[in-house]
Amino acid sequence: MAESPRSDDERVSPSGDGETVAGTDREVATDGGTASGVDGRVSDLTTFLRERPRLRTLSIAGPPYGILLFFFAIPLLAMLVVSFQADRIGGAWTLRNYTGFLTSETYLTVVWRTFLISVQVTAIVAGVGYGLAYSIVRFSRRTTLLLLLVILPFWTSYIIRMYAWINILQSDGVLDSTLNLAGLPALSLLYTDTAVLIGFTYVWLPLAVLPFYASLTNLDGDLIEASKDLGAGPIRTFLSVTLPMTINGVITGIVLVFIPTFGSFITPRLLGGTNNIMIGMVIENQFKSAFNWPFGAAIGIVISVVVVVLLVLATRLGGGLFGAGGETS
Amino acid sequence: MSAVDRVTAPFERFAQAHASRMATVVIVAVLAFLWLPIAVLVFMSFADGGVLSFPPDQLTLRWYRVFLSNDAALDAIVTTLTISIPATGISVALSTMIAYAVDRYVFPGRSWLQLLATLPIIVPLVVTGIAMVLFFNGTLGLPDYVSVVIAHVIRTIPFATLVILPTFMSFDRRLEEASKDLGADEFETFRQVTLPNVFPGIVAGGLLAFTLSFNEFVYTYFVKGSGDPTLPVYIWNQIRYNVTPEVNVISVVFLAVAVSMVLAAVSLTRVDLIARR
Repeated sequence: MAESPRSDDERVSPSGDGETVAGTDREVATDGGTASGVDGRVSDLTTFLRERPRLRTLSIAGPPYGILLFFFAIPLLAMLVVSFQADRIGGAWTLRNYTGFLTSETYLTVVWRTFLISVQVTAIVAGVGYGLAYSIVRFSRRTTLLLLLVILPFWTSYIIRMYAWINILQSDGVLDSTLNLAGLPALSLLYTDTAVLIGFTYVWLPLAVLPFYASLTNLDGDLIEASKDLGAGPIRTFLSVTLPMTINGVITGIVLVFIPTFGSFITPRLLGGTNNIMIGMVIENQFKSAFNWPFGAAIGIVISVVVVVLLVLATRLGGGLFGAGGETS
Repeated sequence: MSAVDRVTAPFERFAQAHASRMATVVIVAVLAFLWLPIAVLVFMSFADGGVLSFPPDQLTLRWYRVFLSNDAALDAIVTTLTISIPATGISVALSTMIAYAVDRYVFPGRSWLQLLATLPIIVPLVVTGIAMVLFFNGTLGLPDYVSVVIAHVIRTIPFATLVILPTFMSFDRRLEEASKDLGADEFETFRQVTLPNVFPGIVAGGLLAFTLSFNEFVYTYFVKGSGDPTLPVYIWNQIRYNVTPEVNVISVVFLAVAVSMVLAAVSLTRVDLIARR
């Protein structure tokens, strides 16, 4: 573009004259009018910032950065500090919260139980979710509609989805009544481990299907054709081509299910029995009835350590968890 | 043919012959698993007998009338909205800034910003929840309302960013070059060229942020004191201490909000945008 000095009129309408140009001129005039007002000041500001790229970046990235640091990262650090204090915030420094937790057989049993349930839930969700994603990607033409039907339940209230299962699983609930009508014995599943597993599977399934779906969609279909051309059957093709090529999505899905299950308290509280305690419920107790915040904070740190270890493992194995919406592979 | 091949051959043939049918069975079964409980919930909101009896003797709108004349429940909705609406606005503004900065600029700490904007999804809610109550209420002494709004902003930023960032990335930046070549400054270009193009994505991000905030329970449960409950906290108390059939009606309210918001969001963007990681 020619770098010649031009008047404002030329910039808006370089050619011609007549009524249209007059109209344009009027618009320019109006724009000019506001430019001296708020817009003008904003324009001055943007010019000022354009000449100072660092300041410009800071003015855009700074506020969200600051808010996430101050209201998300710092609270987590504060939790770490409090976990070393006795009885209340600002109490004497102590290791008692950790030693008390790590030497208590009751609490360690609860951690182990939580771990086992999380592993079971993750295995079920990964299996069913991958099967569903695979079926949708490879065998269905209405992928958008199906994906929507899978995602929608995820956006309704977590508690409501648990409540739906209370309706179904309680003794003489929907499930038992239906079995009864079919002449089968009642199961009375509510307040059992099975109910907890069903509840978790129900809430996390949509969440896990998303990364599975994404990685399967990105898979190059030619690879599958090549495998079949070379004589491999569908099962062998799946095990030696499809699964290894989508393993990143699988790992992401596993992490996305395991971590929230490990920290959950709503599902076991609503669907589990009194002896189906999970570690998240112990934290809830410390904050809602026992009021020993530092001890609750220490358990929060224990959970965080498990989470960090898992994330490091997953990143080593190649799950693409970070960089929201960024690089997919 | 190796021994292994001879053993697996029948299975391979079976999979080959029935793959498509098995896929249909899986899809139908899982969708039924996902939607039947919701269908039961909606159906039971019309049941006359109450929570326990299934199948109900007859259908009625009674519980809807009870709900509409229940001040506690309606107050809970208002309380939720006074938190969700400002939280959504703040969250969308911040997420748009994150998306703009991450998409346009290379700066030190850029990947940290992305990490920070993703982490609230990954850290268990109960952990962040107690960290927030310790810091907001225990250390800073913020008023309940402010704490809860901040908590909702933190909760919704990752999801809003997840939707808004890709719309910035897929936006053709040559349009901006053209605008600047024609003499517009950066702010004018953003307002007149960039914003109209990324606006659907921003609205979609806002709708999802609102849905999430409207449903938010764990952070609210820990951060909010004993004051007016939000709707999810109200329903939690109902379920834990005195279940009435009215809970079914409130469930339908939640469903209606979520479904309409998400459908609106989806119509503005593409479904796989929400699915994308």
